[in-house]
Amino acid sequence: MQIVEIDGFNAHCVAKGIGREVSLFMLQDESIEIGDCVMVHVGYAIQKMSELEARSAWEVYDEMLALEAKGA
Amino acid sequence: MMLTAQDWLAKIHMLPLKRRVRIMNVCGGHERSITMAGIRNALPKTVELIAGPGCPVCICPEEDVYQAIQLALHADVILVAFGDMLRVPVNMSKREVRSLEQAKANGADIRPVASPREAVKIAQENPLRSVVFFAAGFETTTAPVAAMLLEGVPDNLFVLLSGRRTWPAVAMLLDSDTPAFDGLIAPGHVSTVMGPEEWLFVVEKHSIPAAVSGFMPVSLLAAMYSVLRQLLEGKPFLDNCYPELVRPGGNPSAKAQIAQALNDADANWRGIGVIPASGFVLSPRFGSHDARIRFPDFDLAGRKRAGQMPHGCECASVVLGKINPNQCKIYGRSCTPKSPIGPCMVSDEGACRIWWAGGVRNNATVSTEDAQTFVVE
Ligand code: SF4
Repeated sequence: MQIVEIDGFNAHCVAKGIGREVSLFMLQDESIEIGDCVMVHVGYAIQKMSELEARSAWEVYDEMLALEAKGA
Repeated sequence: MMLTAQDWLAKIHMLPLKRRVRIMNVCGGHERSITMAGIRNALPKTVELIAGPGCPVCICPEEDVYQAIQLALHADVILVAFGDMLRVPVNMSKREVRSLEQAKANGADIRPVASPREAVKIAQENPLRSVVFFAAGFETTTAPVAAMLLEGVPDNLFVLLSGRRTWPAVAMLLDSDTPAFDGLIAPGHVSTVMGPEEWLFVVEKHSIPAAVSGFMPVSLLAAMYSVLRQLLEGKPFLDNCYPELVRPGGNPSAKAQIAQALNDADANWRGIGVIPASGFVLSPRFGSHDARIRFPDFDLAGRKRAGQMPHGCECASVVLGKINPNQCKIYGRSCTPKSPIGPCMVSDEGACRIWWAGGVRNNATVSTEDAQTFVVE
């Protein structure tokens, strides 16, 4: 969900047009700003979403092999 | 360029798999995505996907559900619980109250909640009444309970905690003589909170490939590809196919809050038995909010079938991945979501309910034809 308002540990978040009050209490080690996206579970934000996408370490491994092959 | 679900599926089909490979997931959300997207049917026939211990409601001790029912009926409390706990049956005769839902119909003040914050609100709005929050869940749900306690709760709120850690059940399976799987899809949100390192033992101690996955088919298929390739190349490691949320070390605030508010304890898993250090209890600091201390234990010595699964229900074997849901003799016969016999048919995270929702209607040795066709968004 995306954060649209922050008041202490409370945040107002929206996802697909639906708004919800979410606790930021579990994210005290993160810097959280309006506009950030968080994963919410039972009313608590459990982590800030990053831009990274699903991938496997094998992709990196294969890319390196391909580079080595080129270099050789 | 990021690969799509379809790309990962094609890569899986290109792997030279020769023997049957069993991949276990330990998360109701993973099992739901796998079943609803029809991933079982889309994979090579040699790959078998097994639903493992991923449903906290399914393994919540029968004694705890019984205690919650009795508290609601006899202790003049408001009992709040996550919604899918309400229909879980205990082992009582049909004439007696067998679930929180039936207790509610009999006049008990039972309120379903979707968040610990709602439990706090109900306690604040009812200062003259005791409110018992029956909280069953794995780490992702138990961490918010710890946060709730540390943020401050009213004096009249008590927690009946049935929190469990996921990894000790997997460790128990792997330490048994017949581990039911060759590769593990590690849970995404448990790893988000606790850190992926919790699953390193699978690789380091047991040399079994593992990959943390998210909940979209693309992440699940990337994790499955990773596990299969690890097997083929004989190089097991812990892959992270859910990097958007899962970071090294997990969520440090959440872990610190669990450590401050809760202690580890040996814990009972319904139908399975006690697994060492697999449960959470409130720390003495929160003793005044511990429903287990504040209220008497209502269980009767000698109550018939206390702690067991309902008669004929194979949930314990389903939860441990020893059988598929439709290998239970009463799956789809006397046990359906409309009239569930066991907790695995009650909870949204229960494998029986998920398979039923996914359209598996036959009661037989599993056939991969049951799953729906593969849908990629
Ligand atoms: S089908 Fe019903 S009775 Fe059988 S294991 Fe599943 S929940 Fe238990």
